[in-house]
Parts: sequence; C-alpha cells; structure tokens
Amino acid sequence: MNRYPRWPIHLALVVVSGVMLVPFYWVLKTSVSGENIYAYPPSIVPARIHPFFYVDVWYAIPFARYLMNSVVVSAIAVAGNVVFNAMAGYALTHGFRGKGFVVLLFLTCMMVPFQATIIPAYLITGRLGLLDSWLGLALPQCSTIICIFVFKASFDAVPRSLIDAARIDGLSEWRIIWHVMMPLSKSAIATNVILAFIWSWNNFLWPLIMTRTADMQTLPLGLARFLSYQEDTTGALYAFCIMVLAPGLLLFLMAQKEFMRGLTSGAVKG
Amino acid sequence: MATLRRVLANRFVLVPGLLAIVVLAWNAYVFTHHHGIVAGRVVDQAGRPVGGASVALWVYNFTTYEEKEHVTTDHDGTFRFTNNPSHRIQVSAEKPGVGRSERVPVFLYFRSQDIDLSAPLRLAGAG
Repeated sequence: MNRYPRWPIHLALVVVSGVMLVPFYWVLKTSVSGENIYAYPPSIVPARIHPFFYVDVWYAIPFARYLMNSVVVSAIAVAGNVVFNAMAGYALTHGFRGKGFVVLLFLTCMMVPFQATIIPAYLITGRLGLLDSWLGLALPQCSTIICIFVFKASFDAVPRSLIDAARIDGLSEWRIIWHVMMPLSKSAIATNVILAFIWSWNNFLWPLIMTRTADMQTLPLGLARFLSYQEDTTGALYAFCIMVLAPGLLLFLMAQKEFMRGLTSGAVKG
Repeated sequence: MATLRRVLANRFVLVPGLLAIVVLAWNAYVFTHHHGIVAGRVVDQAGRPVGGASVALWVYNFTTYEEKEHVTTDHDGTFRFTNNPSHRIQVSAEKPGVGRSERVPVFLYFRSQDIDLSAPLRLAGAG
C-alpha cells in the first residue's frame, strides 16, 4: 500500500514526456504539411495533411539504395556486436591474470573519441581491402565496450553453479555461451541489438570518410546530400528525417522492455 | 503447430511480417497502376465541354516545371496523356477564342501513376 498518491508523479511524467515529444511532433507535422517552421503564431494542428513530401524524397535521391546500405551495415554491426560482445563479456566473468588491466584498458578506451582513431581505422580498413564496402562500413562498429559490459553484467547474474553443471556435462566454453548464457541474457541481447543498430544507423563520420561512391552511401550521408540541393524544401527535408528515424524508433518500440531490463540488469543486487 | 503459432505471434516476427505484407501490397498496386495515364476534361466558363483545346503536361524537373507534351481534347472535352513519367506534374489548357486555364498542380503517390482528374480544367478570359 502506497503512503502517497501516485497521480502527481504520473502527471509530472506526462507533462515532461509531452515536452520531450514536441520536437518530434513538430518534425512529423512539418513533414506532412510543409508549413513554414518560423511562422508566427505557430500552428499546432496542420491545415492540410498530405504525404507528397515523402514521395519527393523517395525520388529526389536513390533512397532505396541508401536504405539498403543502412540496413545491411546495421545488420552486420548488430550481428558482430552480439557475437563479439558476448564472447568478451563471458571472458570478463572469469578470473584470469591481467583481468584488471583488461578492464582498465576497456574503460580507458571508452574515453578516446572515435574521431581520434579514425585515421588508423581507415588505414586498417584500407589494408584489408574493405574500403567502400558494406563490411568495411560495419567493421569499426562490430564491437562496443559499453555493450561488452552489458553482457558482462548479465552473465554475472547467472548462477555459477549452472555454468559448473554445464561444464560437468561436458559442454565446451563456446557452447556454454550459446546454449546456457545467451538464452538467459535476452535483455542484454536486446540492449546490444538496439544500441548497435542505433549507433550504426546514425553514424555519419565513418561512412563519410570511407565511402568513395554514391552507391555505397548510407542514409545520414544521403540526408546531407539531400540538404545540399533541396535546401528550400522544408517539408521534404523533414520527411527525410522521419524516414531516417522511423526504423530505429520502430526497433526501440518493439524491444523497449528488454532494452530497459538489459540496461538495469546488474545495477541492483540481491 | 503451437510452436509455429508462438513464433508468428512474436512481435519481432509479427511487425516486420505485417510491414512486408504492406510493402508487397503497395508494390503490387504500383505495378498495376503505373502506365503514366493522366486523363481529364476541359470545360468553358459555363461548364460546357470544349473540344479542340490544347492541353499541356508540365513535368517537375528538379527545381522547375518544364513542358513535356501537348494533346488536343476530343469533342466531349476529354483528354488523355499516356506517358507521364513523373510524380509531380501540372496540367493546363487553352483554346484561342475560348480562353486558357490556370496551371493545375497534380501530386501523385508514385511516378507514372494513372490518374483521372476529378476537377475539369476551366477555360476563362477569352482573348
């Protein structure tokens, strides 16, 4: 039984959510109406709604090609994150010599911005012959340190006796990860999938540096290209933004429960 | 069977599956309605059909509209373009002695969409 009524909290949350959703609503409204965003007084409800700015965007640039590039690159990045991060996270649940140093190294590397490592990343990708390719676009995003710790936290919560039992039954470490740990870490998987997808989907700098042909560009680059020659079309620009945002939003809405659980797992004990 | 039902009811299967069905249905519709036909009617100020009027099709070309094609209306005032390549067009009509219409913008949901204009082009301002 709660001592205090909960409605004031809910009311405050509704108000805050409303405020945070206003920019999204504004983008959506402009994308279907093309109304001048600087008009005063601003119109809350659009006068005439139509989808033709979306049609303009679809034909103004090779949207389908950019979409395919983004989808393929994100899929590779997501698969890479789930596999490599799970392996790294599992290793960190074990005690081994130099573990403290490895964890320290990971934490230190998190503080180095990607911009500082982009030249070596470019050179390595070039040596591998992966410039201007889907795999090359996804390669630097195939593992992220934050997501390794998400897996580690989730694996730490699995009872040690379960792993010991699996080992006694003759399972190899590899099979313990995939047949014991992963089914018990759905939240961590969802968190990895969402974070890897969003980071890969929104990545601008790396595709800008390493793509050489227009055919290999991803949606954020397409947006920049679109801006360069459609600067007078507010409606189309906002429609493009919605089209770029929609897949990430959809994925988040589908997996939000697991995402929240994955981020908070390991945060509390007992 | 129960496993299949459980898999299909999973939102990670259901939502992409529904989206795929919508996309397929939309593409099927586009495939059967993209012959580039733009049809309509030309009338005078009194609403009578105007035969022999010249109707122009204007196609959006990156930043401006450019004239693509002309057809002449039949005796009942109807006209028909058969190879509109664009999703953003304008149509206008004129006939010496009767007048000319405004350029009417037409937005289509996809390129070459077949459309029958509901409102006729009305000629006015005979010169």
